[in-house]
Amino acid sequence: MVLNYILRRLGLLLFMMFTLSVFTFSLSYLFPGDPLSNLSGISNTSFSQTSELQEKYHFNDNYLMQYFAFITRIVQGDWGVSFASGDSVFTHIIELFPATLELSIYALIISVVVGVPAGIFAAAYHRRWPDKLVNSTTLVGYSMPLFWLALLLIMVFSLQLGWFPMSGRMGLLYEIPYQTGFILIDIVLADFPYSGLAMLDALHHLTLPTIVLAMYPTTVLVRFTRDSMLHVLEQSYIKTARAKGLNRAQLIMHHALRNALLPVIKQIGLQFSTLITLAMITEVIFSWPGIGRWLIDSIYQRDYPAIQGGLLAVSMFVILATIIAELTYTLFDPLSRNQAHGKV
Amino acid sequence: MQLLDIRNLTIELRTSDTVIRAVDRVNLSLKEGEVHALVGESGSGKSLIAKAIVGVLNKRWHITADRMHWRGVDLMRLSNEQRRKIVGSDIAMIYQDPSRCLDPTAKIFEQIAETLPEITGSGFFLKRNRERKDRVKALIHKVGIKDHQKVLSSYPHELSEGVCQKVMIAMAIARTPKLLIADEPTTALESTTRAQVFRLLKSLNQLKNMSILMISHELEEIINWSHCMHVLYCGQMVEAGPTQRIFTQPRHPYTQALLKSLPDYEQGLAHKEPFYALKGTIPTLQHLPIGCRLGPRCPQAQKACVVTPPLTKQHGHSYACHFPLIKVMK
Ligand SMILES: Nc1ncnc2c1ncn2[C@@H]1O[C@H](COP(=O)(O)OP(=O)(O)OP(=O)(O)O)[C@@H](O)[C@H]1O
Ligand code: SF4
Ligand SMILES: [Mg+2]
Repeated sequence: MVLNYILRRLGLLLFMMFTLSVFTFSLSYLFPGDPLSNLSGISNTSFSQTSELQEKYHFNDNYLMQYFAFITRIVQGDWGVSFASGDSVFTHIIELFPATLELSIYALIISVVVGVPAGIFAAAYHRRWPDKLVNSTTLVGYSMPLFWLALLLIMVFSLQLGWFPMSGRMGLLYEIPYQTGFILIDIVLADFPYSGLAMLDALHHLTLPTIVLAMYPTTVLVRFTRDSMLHVLEQSYIKTARAKGLNRAQLIMHHALRNALLPVIKQIGLQFSTLITLAMITEVIFSWPGIGRWLIDSIYQRDYPAIQGGLLAVSMFVILATIIAELTYTLFDPLSRNQAHGKV
Repeated sequence: MQLLDIRNLTIELRTSDTVIRAVDRVNLSLKEGEVHALVGESGSGKSLIAKAIVGVLNKRWHITADRMHWRGVDLMRLSNEQRRKIVGSDIAMIYQDPSRCLDPTAKIFEQIAETLPEITGSGFFLKRNRERKDRVKALIHKVGIKDHQKVLSSYPHELSEGVCQKVMIAMAIARTPKLLIADEPTTALESTTRAQVFRLLKSLNQLKNMSILMISHELEEIINWSHCMHVLYCGQMVEAGPTQRIFTQPRHPYTQALLKSLPDYEQGLAHKEPFYALKGTIPTLQHLPIGCRLGPRCPQAQKACVVTPPLTKQHGHSYACHFPLIKVMK
């Protein structure tokens, strides 16, 4: 049953990937300029180069053949070269994506660690002052534009107090060799004599962008968890479990939390796509060397191969994350896992 | 000794502009080892009273009572935590809507197992586990579930309402409570199991001295083995007293109508003879008549009935009617 479900999800994944690849492929023809140079990233070619490229990109065959050639190259990791840098787009993505991912993951972790307990706390003290405090705080966080919050934090903590750096990912003093792309892991792996200091510096750089990025998902999770918890606590099965003589801790651990957090898991997965979008803005503000900033730069520079590659990578990732979140949710929820059960 | 003693229990739903009084000044007292029946039309507030005793009503309901004593302790004055402890160990309830009262994300086994009293005595973790399993299995066999393996490893939504009801019964009797409140415990059951459940409750009452507050529409069953009977109409107690007395000599017109509506097979019913029933239907809570709530439907009603009748008490038999029936029913 579960296997069947996973297979169907994978089918959906394949279909979405297919649609995405068709869209990306057609972008080269829709972008202004020569499709061949849009695809390969090589412009101003000589005649012999052109015919070589035409051969490689199957440009004299029909669109179907071209599409298959495109897919083959995508799978092989040959995503063309960037107009701007002349380097392979794929290498760029591999280098930049971990930075974005790192920022997003930390922000997500913070939002879960802060948001879910805060929501539970607010629900536990429903209508009393902790609930009101949490509620009004989240309302402020929810309605504050991200860039405004970022500028505010920079003004206070970087310019006035000087506690945190304004931009970048790492101080210039440190030279961390690239291994995984996740800066904290790389520092640990590099094993310098001064790695403690480097770690501190990296954390300093991380703080402001992570807080800014975490703000929105945290507020969403707080509200969602609170509502979900309140809803569950009102259900008859909670009241009857209480009447069975379970104490508060047992009640919350065995019945309330599981029921209340199930929808929250789904929500966390959905937050990931919003997070990636917000991460792009955050990266631009904090000059964070991630894929978002690179993508926006590429858009300014009309760097079509880079735009294409970046879009493909980001959307593939979002689709994957959403499906993984849904699968986890399904594994936890008996009601949606067992498809033999019909809702009445 | 009085096990449960309730005076003037009132349950209201307060909305912004009106107060809906669903249960109005109900008295109920119950001794150890007694079986009481609570009968009344659908919507008369039986479940509300039961839930108010156990304390599982939603916060929106406003419950007041002059007293609600459980073995001398006033439940209304206890803190939530103290009350939970007493109710958890001494009172159990079989709910009317079983599937909504089971946690949808927990397996049946867990839910029954957590109602079991703590297994005392030494023994390894494994041994205790094994004992828990055996006890759960025994419980579930008692209520007429044969396929324990499948049922215990299911989630509530995978089971039928009848099986859920059996599970509820198993959970209710797991701690051998002093008082069992059974809210229509057999509505979703097949007739063989129904008989089995009644037999089980009867034996628990006789062997373990468990008191039962039985809410049921099955008057024949109730008349056979309950000691006292409380008749409820529209949230008011219209008549209460020893079952035999009420059965042989009902004082209140509503009770009489209720008893008359029982088909009497011994006297033989004529072909297609209509059952006796009161005209009209139970009024909604928003449009209650003034005075006696039965007024508009009552065959005996007179002018005086626009005033709420006081409760008359005679030898433990009480009724609220201006013109009680004196004649013995034929
Ligand atoms: N959640 C609710 N909101 C508003 N009114 C309610 C609610 N639950 C019950 N009531 C009202 O309270 C009254 C008593 O309901 P209750 O469930 O106690 O009836 P009952 O005697 O148990 O009926 P049944 O035999 O059908 O179970 C009914 O008139 C009903 O309309
Ligand atoms: S008080 Fe009047 S209306 Fe009410 S039951 Fe008695 S006779 Fe009927
Ligand atoms: Mg009911």
